[in-house]
Amino acid sequence: MTPWAEIVGAAHVRPGGAADAVDGVVPRAVVRPGTVDEVRACVRAAAGAGAALLARGLGAHLDVGAPPARLDVLLDVARLARVLDHRAGDMTVTVEAGCPLPALADVLAGAGQWLPLDPPRAGRTTVGGLVAAGLFGPLRASQGRVRDLLLGVRVVGADGALVAGGGRVVKNVAGYDLPKLHVGALGTLGVLVEATFKVRPRPPCGRALVAACGDVGAAADLALAARDAAVEPFWLVLEGERVSVGFAGVAEEVAAGAAAMRALAERRGARVADVDPVAARGRAADMPGEPAAAVLRAGVLPGDVGAALRDIDAAARAAGTAVRTLAHVACGVVYAAVAAEAPVPRLVAHLRPRMEARGGSLVVERAAPGVKRALDVWGDPGPGLPLMRGVKAALDPGALFAPGRFVGGL
Amino acid sequence: MLSGALVTALRAVVGDDGVIDGAAALLVYECDGYTLERAAPELVVLPRAPAEVGAVLRLLAAGGIPFVPRGAGTGLSGGTLPVGAPVMVCTSRMQRIEAIDATNRRVTVEAGVVNQWVTNAVRAHGLHYAPDPSSQPACTIGGNVAENSGGPHTLKYGVTTNHVLGVELALPTGDLVQLGGAVEDRPGYDLVGLAVGAEGTFGIVTRATLRLVRTPEGTRTLLAVFDSVEAASEAVSGIIADGIVPAALEMMDRLMIGAVEVAYRVGLPVDAGAVLLIELDGPAAGLEPQVARVERVCRAHGVREIRVARDEAERAALWKCRKRAFGAVGRLAPNYCTQDGVVPRTRVPEILRRIAAAGERHRLRIGNVFHAGDGNIHPILLFDARDPDEVRRVLAAGREILEACVELGGSLTGEHGIGVEKIAEMPLLFGPDDLRAMTAIRAVFDPAGRANPHKIFPDAKVCVETRAPRRQAAL
Repeated sequence: MTPWAEIVGAAHVRPGGAADAVDGVVPRAVVRPGTVDEVRACVRAAAGAGAALLARGLGAHLDVGAPPARLDVLLDVARLARVLDHRAGDMTVTVEAGCPLPALADVLAGAGQWLPLDPPRAGRTTVGGLVAAGLFGPLRASQGRVRDLLLGVRVVGADGALVAGGGRVVKNVAGYDLPKLHVGALGTLGVLVEATFKVRPRPPCGRALVAACGDVGAAADLALAARDAAVEPFWLVLEGERVSVGFAGVAEEVAAGAAAMRALAERRGARVADVDPVAARGRAADMPGEPAAAVLRAGVLPGDVGAALRDIDAAARAAGTAVRTLAHVACGVVYAAVAAEAPVPRLVAHLRPRMEARGGSLVVERAAPGVKRALDVWGDPGPGLPLMRGVKAALDPGALFAPGRFVGGL
Repeated sequence: MLSGALVTALRAVVGDDGVIDGAAALLVYECDGYTLERAAPELVVLPRAPAEVGAVLRLLAAGGIPFVPRGAGTGLSGGTLPVGAPVMVCTSRMQRIEAIDATNRRVTVEAGVVNQWVTNAVRAHGLHYAPDPSSQPACTIGGNVAENSGGPHTLKYGVTTNHVLGVELALPTGDLVQLGGAVEDRPGYDLVGLAVGAEGTFGIVTRATLRLVRTPEGTRTLLAVFDSVEAASEAVSGIIADGIVPAALEMMDRLMIGAVEVAYRVGLPVDAGAVLLIELDGPAAGLEPQVARVERVCRAHGVREIRVARDEAERAALWKCRKRAFGAVGRLAPNYCTQDGVVPRTRVPEILRRIAAAGERHRLRIGNVFHAGDGNIHPILLFDARDPDEVRRVLAAGREILEACVELGGSLTGEHGIGVEKIAEMPLLFGPDDLRAMTAIRAVFDPAGRANPHKIFPDAKVCVETRAPRRQAAL
């Protein structure tokens, strides 16, 4: 305990408890550095002691990933929470990793701007968590992902060095694109302390419609047709036999998009209703973070979403469990929330080969620790795995950062 | 000197017409679009398929021989200069568009497919490939992936990395490894994102799976004429601040307007200080209100005249001016050097002042035609290569402009890459720890440093014969 208190002050160190457990593994200490230099000192101390270290923001997404192989120190970066530099005219923002998304949103809203990423549990998500877990929501359909909006990072590496990648401008090809490497890496390549994002103007108008189609196949077809409409959807999700579509932009565009969508759906015999666009998108965003025994995430081609949903439905019936699904059709992501723990390994064993046969994947995004230990949460990362091992070994040779959490036991 | 046995083995892989070793024929390969440094390879090898790239690299690996990849040779930072690499591997014969999947908006192509061909092949489906570098009628997808190329329309649609879903990479060992693919969200590190923009230092990209975007329902292209670059710059900031995201927002200054008008005769106002080429696209319903807003902002910043292209022919004429502006410069001076730097977009007026000051200080004429909406500047330095002192002043002014970009919070390059051109400037942007992390990653892909050696990283710099540059090919 002593070295930590020397670095961050005794007030910011405490022994780990049950509430700090990550997938059931209780850390020995929770350390709360207040500056980047303190983060660096903590990393050096951990490296010197051979201690495994995991960075945490508000802890809302620590249920993503495989259980840690070892965990000694939980490095809580919540004190690094400043919005360092919002350049409204440049439409960029540089922010510390521990900054919660709502606090960042408040600053950006002052200039009519936003970071158009809408992960589950957004109110309890930090910038660091957003990047580390590569989180997204319905807005991905039109706004892209973290990788598309992240311009630069500062990361504390395994030797305690502060490493910068990317920059603070919207276009930049100097050096390797290190920021991309850290997106979705679950903190296994270093401790993210700062990120710079491209931000966008908030669209002035929004509307959303929900179309009840009667069956899942018809809904999947409607969703693909909606994607191809003249006004491309702002977001587009498929829940059971219902398609929800959001439009945003200037008033004329939104009105035209909604009218065309209504006509398209009604021609196909669907019942269409207007819904509150913010609430509807928020519900869709939160679905993968809602309580469930496990949330599976399949990645397939957009045109295979209907088939993936049928597979999931059949597998759930065979396993005798209730499954709730939500699909982001434009990017081919299908979530399945499973009600009971026991059938999860069977579902994964059944569904993963089917998704992989389509060139896709099936990841156990969130699950109780007991469920995770009974299976491989990640599945096959593909032929790039040896290179991934190489990257991990190059940047974290001592397996200091979150060992065991990532693909292939990295 | 390469052994005769190796050359024979390479011929067996790629055919007799796939090996170039005659001194005259090799001259073509001694530089790309960056002509200030030149070095000819001993041998150029042109595989016909990805598997042949693998076979070629296996032969080179057995001999421990470094190599440099090349597509169409339109790069502007000397990325294909063979420095300490006797063999050049050209992907230009690998031209198959392998699969078009309109439903899922994907296309898989070999590395030598020309950028423009992709859009030509999918246009009938109402789709296009968004990154559109000025060299798009010639540059290859493999080169675009290596450089993470941009273009005017990247303001709204993003650069190459936002549109590459998967690559097949021939490692320096000759092994072909598929990274990413048509389906998004494969678990693991984003090695595709890492490989895009690696400038050939990981190996040779042999195939790419690209994302296609829907061709917008409507497009409006405007030419806004201003008395000064300051007023035009302020209008750019005003448009961005108004919450409008144009598809493209390009600026040309007086020197470039004059050159383009002489070359293409489209009726540009040669007495203007600057023109903005502004393109808005999207659903037809939303277009006119946005055009009106852009016009309002331009008027608020003292625009002299706004012309709206009335049809596709007028639009094409405006874009021809922009995309072929570099070619027009050939009439102004025997040689020119295009710089590529980035500043935060609000600092565009300041960097233009700094560029003008550098021009005065070094007695050089400098024109500007650039991606104003992104803050991605392209000063064009005119010179005569027969005047060694002027060449020296061009290099000095270029360096000062890049220093100013970094000082203003920007970057050394927005889309051309570091190559050999900007190796010396890398420490302006990255510290030793940053560079160490990058070289450690490079070693994962290429432990022996045989893939495009002596590029990007300062400690890798070796002396290249710097000759007087010749008249530059128009890109």
